[in-house]
Amino acid sequence: MSFVEIISELVLMPLIAFVVGLMMVLMMRKISARLQRRIGPPFFQPIYDIVKLYGKDTQVSHGLIHDIGIVMAVGGYIGAEILLPVPGMEGIADKGGIITLSYFLMIPSLGMALGVGQCANPNGSIGISRALTAMLAYDIPFIIVVFGAAWHYESTSLIGMIEYQQANAWGIIEMPFLAIAGLFALQGMLGKQPFEIYIAPAEIATGPMVEMSGKYMGGLFVMQTFQLYTAGVLYASLFLGGGESWLDLLPKAFLVVAIPMSIAFLFPRYKTEDLIRILWKWPVMLALIGLAFIL
Amino acid sequence: MMKKELKIKSNKTNQQKQKRTNPLANVFDDFIDFCQSKSLFMLHYCTGCGAIELPPAMTSRFDMERLGIQPMVTPRQADILLVTGYVSVKTLKRVILTYEQMQAPKYVIGICSCTVNGGMYWQSYATAKKLNEYMPVDVYIAGCMPRPEAVLEGLNRLKNNIKNDRKEQKGSAWKDYYKNYDYYLGNQQNLFGKEWQTPVDVIAEAKLYGLEGEGTYGENTKKLKMVQHPLLPQEMKL
Repeated sequence: MSFVEIISELVLMPLIAFVVGLMMVLMMRKISARLQRRIGPPFFQPIYDIVKLYGKDTQVSHGLIHDIGIVMAVGGYIGAEILLPVPGMEGIADKGGIITLSYFLMIPSLGMALGVGQCANPNGSIGISRALTAMLAYDIPFIIVVFGAAWHYESTSLIGMIEYQQANAWGIIEMPFLAIAGLFALQGMLGKQPFEIYIAPAEIATGPMVEMSGKYMGGLFVMQTFQLYTAGVLYASLFLGGGESWLDLLPKAFLVVAIPMSIAFLFPRYKTEDLIRILWKWPVMLALIGLAFIL
Repeated sequence: MMKKELKIKSNKTNQQKQKRTNPLANVFDDFIDFCQSKSLFMLHYCTGCGAIELPPAMTSRFDMERLGIQPMVTPRQADILLVTGYVSVKTLKRVILTYEQMQAPKYVIGICSCTVNGGMYWQSYATAKKLNEYMPVDVYIAGCMPRPEAVLEGLNRLKNNIKNDRKEQKGSAWKDYYKNYDYYLGNQQNLFGKEWQTPVDVIAEAKLYGLEGEGTYGENTKKLKMVQHPLLPQEMKL
């Protein structure tokens, strides 16, 4: 692959992720609206929000680390996008593989922790300590799922996994237990109810976002688009056979994101200790059973 | 306690408009204005009975989100401060603290007659009568209490102000707080005493963003400088 091709893919992959992520944010808000029998936001609402936030006249920065934290939060996901193979574009996916990707998925949480720490807002500190606790909780089943998938496909490269599934059968058919455990972990990863312990608007005033204004909040909105896209495409490539074309991949990714969203708006949330107890009990148990089947 | 009436010099602010060299600057400005009018995050400071009209305005019956308005929970994220009902002297302090923490462009909407002129609390010794003596108010929604339709009508008027009337400075009452800070501070001092100060240094912000006006400094800000001390971390106590 030539140098120009690589560079254009590294630019294009996050851009496509952003556009698709915007649609996913719209879908999320539409789902919540429909479940509450509302009409919901207009089509371009996610763009309006982001442009408005970046166009604010005044900003409050709490210091250099606050700025860097947001850059890390967005940058971690941009790094994850170029490791996620999509139809027609591989980026540097063949160099990284799923283990690098799982490390990249932790960077945004750590970046947020850095930035929020500098804000010195007690609600933010509580929020970020809960966010890191939640990360600890959902990462155990997630890593077991990733290990099981890599063992089954005999490859740690996402490209290899997709090729295996397209040659044989989808992962969700061959290892259903791991797929269900993966869905649990996905719900925690997206921070949606019942695992929404660190946003908790009524309790700790959106936790990590409490001091974010203007561009900082805009950065977090951009991060959310990437987060939804990464979750959808990663799960689709692990269990739903990836996609031969965009027409194949996008419905799968949207479906995967729609499942946690539809569950989320029907539930309240757990306490922090209950969240850890549940995520370390049921998904881990399911994932271990699934692992026992394929080993 | 004589309170001098406020005169907004809108013509002058028009003349002071800086010239933009980039030919696309106006296009960008218009686009940002458009997006600002389409996306408003709302912080509702529910001080009185008017708050009861907000849940139906937000939920399935009237659905505010289809207008691009959604509730937010902290002043940092919010664009609109909705003051729903009477403000007592004690709550007014909190409203002002909240208002000063919001990031511009910020808009204030006063709901119910209590924010317009004191309403049924006119004779109360503990209630601030007119909200716009203490902070610039963009839109008043009168009524006791206004129905959700009226609330949505008021929000739509604010959206139109932001989108169309920016050139007449209708949608930017927030600049007035910086340009006439002395007036607002004086009224606040009349109510709360001469020791009154907030953690936000409004004069420094006005300097930083180039929003100083003739009314930024005056007798009242001199009084503020006498008592103002830098914000220190609170003492740890059990």
